[in-house]
Amino acid sequence: MIKVTDVIFQYDKGGEQILNGISTEIKDGTYVGVIGPNGCGKTTFVRHLNGLLAPTAGEVWVEGMRTADPVAVRKIRGQVGMVFQNPDNQIVGMTVEEDVAFGPGNLGLSSPEIGRRVQEALSMVGMERQSKRSPQMLSNGEKQLVAIAGVLAMKPRHIILDEPTTYLDPSAREKVLQVVNSLHKDGITIVHVTHDMDEIAQADRIIVLYEGRIAMEGSPSQVFGRVEWLKGLGVGIPKIAEILWGLRKTGLHVRTDVFSVKEACEEISSLIRSQQKPH
Amino acid sequence: MHIGQYIPGNSVIHRLDPRVKIGAAIVLSILALQGGSFTETFLSAFLIALIPCSGLSVYQMGRAFRSVLVFFALLFFVHLLFTQGKPIPPFPPWRVTVTYEGLYRGAVTTWQFALLIWTASILTMTTLPTDLVNGIERLLRPLRRIGVPSYDIAIMISIALRFVPTFLEEIDRIKTAHMARGAAFGSGSLVRRTLAGVSILLPLVLRTMHRADDLVVAMEARAYQRGPRTYLKELSMTWADYAAVIVITAIICLHMLCP
Repeated sequence: MIKVTDVIFQYDKGGEQILNGISTEIKDGTYVGVIGPNGCGKTTFVRHLNGLLAPTAGEVWVEGMRTADPVAVRKIRGQVGMVFQNPDNQIVGMTVEEDVAFGPGNLGLSSPEIGRRVQEALSMVGMERQSKRSPQMLSNGEKQLVAIAGVLAMKPRHIILDEPTTYLDPSAREKVLQVVNSLHKDGITIVHVTHDMDEIAQADRIIVLYEGRIAMEGSPSQVFGRVEWLKGLGVGIPKIAEILWGLRKTGLHVRTDVFSVKEACEEISSLIRSQQKPH
Repeated sequence: MHIGQYIPGNSVIHRLDPRVKIGAAIVLSILALQGGSFTETFLSAFLIALIPCSGLSVYQMGRAFRSVLVFFALLFFVHLLFTQGKPIPPFPPWRVTVTYEGLYRGAVTTWQFALLIWTASILTMTTLPTDLVNGIERLLRPLRRIGVPSYDIAIMISIALRFVPTFLEEIDRIKTAHMARGAAFGSGSLVRRTLAGVSILLPLVLRTMHRADDLVVAMEARAYQRGPRTYLKELSMTWADYAAVIVITAIICLHMLCP
């Protein structure tokens, strides 16, 4: 479990406070979406979860270890993996397998163990046949999959993804989201920062950040139900909910806490059928 | 094709431990530069014999020399013209003229550098960059006691090599963006073209700094720390490697015994 208590963060003494008192808990195995307008502190917040940043005040505990503890940090980073936005600037190795081996190598594992983990991780993302390729031969989508594999090879319990699909074309985005969802099904905690609400419509929980504070936390239904408020913050809602909300505004009685295409079709078709009832 | 780019293969040389190959390349290079007619002849024969052993074709080896031909020509002619000695008729007996000694020195020096390039090429054409870096790290590791950070050096070389193609792409991208705004790269006066070339420099440096920032964070996120780490491939010596070491040692002895 990851526990964040009263975290305040500023880069320099007397500098701007990026985080203004954040407290939350991220339970094992949950899928948490983190949203908020640009500059609200999303990236700063998630970088506290694996000890990349240490709070100016307050504490972050991961699996019973404090992130501010320099001795525990290595172990924490083995437990909490992170995938970044730019596919190129995460790949360190001269070949795919060498890059995936970077993480386990940092943990000091034996060569045979590293070999096993690299194979396993590449299979989990479907890149096992590309192990000898060099980074410049990969598409952005493939690079992101390699980045995810590189994190998986460390066998983390939690994975943070900071806007991982920004540089990806639609089919690559689809593939990456598929992989993330299957990791969630395997029990890995997912913390997903994004600007695209459709990506996290099926999350277990959504955290809305605004000006360095948690403006709201709840289920997708609860959060995306507050449409006007979200739009006021400069944050969108999933397109499906947007359509239903638009219909609602014209006076039609539809639920707006619907986030999957299937449910939306059912909702809209039952609405149309009720309109078609003979008088 | 870049100079000495790796050519996949499964020859005896390909399979040698990179440490042995690097060591051999250094030794043979030093011997080549030291000179001595016997050594030069022997080394030439040896290196020629290595070509089939490494599964490389003469054509591939020839291509490795293409880029340095200009340098060789320059080297040869400088020696040919500026060495004092007996002029070859019909050239006049001036200070700058073609002499027999010049011909000899030119040929020998050029050949020595050819041997150097040859040795280095065999090394890089039969060894994966990954293995080369691994080999360098292992060779430097004992020097950690005197403060040489072998692990850090290896990571630095590794990352530099990894990003070379990315930089080339980046330069291309910036160039295209500038051309779209009317910068002159292929045409115009020399001054204009030089300025256009320089205009790529600043964006390139800035983007590289940004990349480095991102990369550092990504590496730390994967628990990177300076110092000892383990690798996917652990190098180990086989009988072929020991045999190669013996061969190289024999060559050194031969060199020291013969004039």
